[in-house]
Order: sequence, then C-alpha cells, then structure tokens
Amino acid sequence: MIKVHDLWKAFGENQVLKGITLSIPPGQTYVVLGGSGSGKTVLMKHVIGLLKPDRGTVQVNGVELSALEGKALTEARGVFGMVFQGAALFDSMTVFENVAFPLLERGHRPAAAEVRERCLAKLKVVDLGEEVLERFPAELSGGMRKRVALARALVSDPKVVLYDEPTTGLDPITTAYVDEMILAAKQRLGITSMVISHDVASAFKVADRLAVLYDGKLVAEGTPAEVKASKDPYVQRYLSTWFEKQ
Amino acid sequence: MIRGMTRLKAALEDFGGMIFFALETLAWAFRPPFRPGLILAQMAFIGAGSVFIVGVTGTFSGMVLALQGNYAMKQFAAEGYVGGSVALALARELAPVLTALMVTGRAGSAVATELGTMRVTEQIDAMDSMAVNPIQYLVVPRVIASILMFPALTMLFNLLGYLGAFVMGVYVAGIPVGPFIEHTRTFLVPADILHGLGKAVLFGGVVAVVTCWRGYSATGGSRGVGEGTTRAVVSSSIGILIVDYALTLFSVGT
Repeated sequence: MIKVHDLWKAFGENQVLKGITLSIPPGQTYVVLGGSGSGKTVLMKHVIGLLKPDRGTVQVNGVELSALEGKALTEARGVFGMVFQGAALFDSMTVFENVAFPLLERGHRPAAAEVRERCLAKLKVVDLGEEVLERFPAELSGGMRKRVALARALVSDPKVVLYDEPTTGLDPITTAYVDEMILAAKQRLGITSMVISHDVASAFKVADRLAVLYDGKLVAEGTPAEVKASKDPYVQRYLSTWFEKQ
Repeated sequence: MIRGMTRLKAALEDFGGMIFFALETLAWAFRPPFRPGLILAQMAFIGAGSVFIVGVTGTFSGMVLALQGNYAMKQFAAEGYVGGSVALALARELAPVLTALMVTGRAGSAVATELGTMRVTEQIDAMDSMAVNPIQYLVVPRVIASILMFPALTMLFNLLGYLGAFVMGVYVAGIPVGPFIEHTRTFLVPADILHGLGKAVLFGGVVAVVTCWRGYSATGGSRGVGEGTTRAVVSSSIGILIVDYALTLFSVGT
C-alpha cells in the first residue's frame, strides 16, 4: 500500500506540488494524468524517495519513506522497480548487464546461472529473447529500450513498479504493446503499479484508479468512470482531447 | 549588488553541497558491498590511461628544467648543481602539480562528462531506484582509484623527468656526470619524494571529488553537461593550486 499525505514541494519560487493526498491499494494500477509541467514526475520521484518533500509524508507498506536517509532509504527502495521516461538504460552496459544490474549489485549475489535464467525470464515477459542480450542500448529501437527497461524493473521481483511516461514518443503499435506489458505485469505478477502519463487512451486502458494533476493539485480522483464523469472544467477539457476523437 | 549576492549565495551553496558530497563518499567507502572490480577499472582508466601524457609531460619538463638550469647556473660556474635542483623541484613541486593538472584534463573531464550524462539521462536516478547507491557505485571507485594512481603517476613523472634532465644536462649541455649525480644525492632526500607523493594523494582526492561532484550535480541537458565539465576542470585546477600553496606554506613556512 502506498499512501501520500499532504505533499508539498517547491523548487525556488516555483511551487510544484500543493498538498497531494492519494493512496494506492496493493495489486492495483494507479494512473496520474496531467499536462507537461504539472508536477507528475516530481510526484513520482517523491514516491520512490528520489526527492524529499518540503511538507507531507510518503508511506510505502507502512514505512515512512520520506523520513529515511542514506542506507535505510537505499534499502527501503528494494520494493520498487521503476521504468523511466527515456528508459534510462546504462549506455555503457549490454542489455544483459542492464537487466542483471539489480541482481548483481544489491548485496547478495545469486549464482551466475540463476542471474541469466532470471534475466531471460523477465525479457520473455516483454517479448525479448536471447538475441538481444549482448546488444548495447544504442543498438535498440525506442520501443525495445522501454521493454528492456521494464525487464530490468521486474527482474528483482518488486512489489511496486513505477512507470514514468511509459508511452511518450512511441508509435501507436508500440504504445498498445507497452499498455499490454503493464497489464501483463499486473496480472501475471500481481504487482502494484503507479503510472504517470499524459496519454489519456493508455491511462483509461490500464488504470484501476485515476487522478488528474493540474497546477500541483489533484483536481479529480477515482475509478476511470468517476474521473470521466468529473465536472471539473480542466478535467473535462483534458479528457475531451481524446474522447471527442472517439 | 543583489545579483552579486545571489551568485555568492549560489556559490556557497554549491561549495557546501560538495563538502557534504565528499563526506557522503567517505561514509559509503567503508560500507559493503566493496567493488574491487570497479576500482581496478577506474585505476586502469585514470592511471594506466594517463601514463603516456604524464610520461611525455614529465620527460619534457625535466629536459627544459635541465636546459634552463644550466643556462642560469653557468653564470656562476655551478652547472654541477643542475641535477640536484631539478630533482628537488620535480619531487617537491612540479611532478605532483603537473601530473594532477594533466590527469585533470585527461581523466577528470571524462569523469565529469560521464557522470553528467548519466545524471541528465536519469541513469543515476535509475540506479537509486534499484536500491544501489550511486555514490557508492560511481563515485567511491573513482575517488579510491585517483588517490592510489595520482602518487604512482607522480613517481613516473619524477623518474622520466629526471631521466630527461640527465640526458639533456649530461649529453647535450655537457655537465659532468659525477657532479650531476652527486649533487642529486646531496640535495634530494626521501622526505622530499614523500612530500611530493603526499601532495599527489591529496590532489587525487580533490580532483576526484570535484570532477565527480560537477558531473553528479549537472542539470539541464547536454549544455549543462558541457558547463559541468568546464567547471570541473577549472575548479579542480584551482583546487590543486590552492592545496599546493597551503601544503607548501605548511611544510616550508615563509
């Protein structure tokens, strides 16, 4: 269970988050929709403890992540996997080294054969095979990089996976594929997911619960049907960009 | 005035951030898991990779010092002292300082660029998100490697510098071998070499922390990485000169 309570964050004069409160039950996919610069990524970075709030708390499975520092924080992040907007693969490492990284560098090292087996199993979840293992990120397409990033996020069997704009910059077919991947990760592995996106179509496809972030505040929150029925003018305008096309 | 105060405040905050970064690096250096493979890889990059440039700089510095020394000493008919004075200048001052400046230009800039690129492409955040501390994984090996390799490279500079001075002094300038060697023995004591190596250890730490910090704290895309690299080289070079002055003042007085 992830609980964010009254979260405030400013960078200099710019107040980015203004009292965000939300909770994500185990095994559910929670999508935060919002335009560019609305504070989505900042919110997600608080959830995993990459940023410290000015005020408010973030709790993950009962542990107050926002109060932890140093080694305790690093260890508490063990429950997470995160897929970054630009994939954030280590460009000096091969696909295998990228996917194996969390297994090899977190302290207890499994046997080499087990590492390889677990990497291949997670690459299979995202429809990639042994042929990509020795390639470098620069040799992969954007979609493949995202898939490798998801395999890397899943390899240590995290309880929570965070997706930062997973479909940004992808063609419609790859976007649909990434949506399927998120759903498959939830259904096959029972993972709790938080997705931040500005892609309304993808959001409604994968979300159990949805929130719309505008000007640092959640202006709508609930099931996809509840958010769709919201009377908030920004939410109506935001969702109409997609629903009117249908 | 207000702009000046703002810039001063930003500079002090940046310096404070770097001090905390150095302390955090120190704390993570003593925590498991230890990664000898990464330290060796950095020693190869920072140390072995700099052998050529340090060797060339050392040799030419020694050669030039011998020629200049000979030119000056000849006026007092004291050419025999060239070997000793060159060896002393190299060991206490020129070898550690020039080695540090050359390695900053070659390896320090690469470290700042690599870490800066990793920062702006979220690779450092990704490492953090995987419960692997980036300071322990990326910075500690570079700092340890620098602290170990700077003295080794300084020793190489000393040896090749003296060799260059010997060849120039004895075979080109015609200084007799006996006084050249004899005055080196008289002038140079092991404490002088240790003094230079001690400086090299500190320079290694300063250069590694400054260049890693500039990369680690880079913001704003490729331009930010470029600015970070430039600042890394400038700040490290100034840091080397200030630390050198302070150590020299402390050891020999005014």
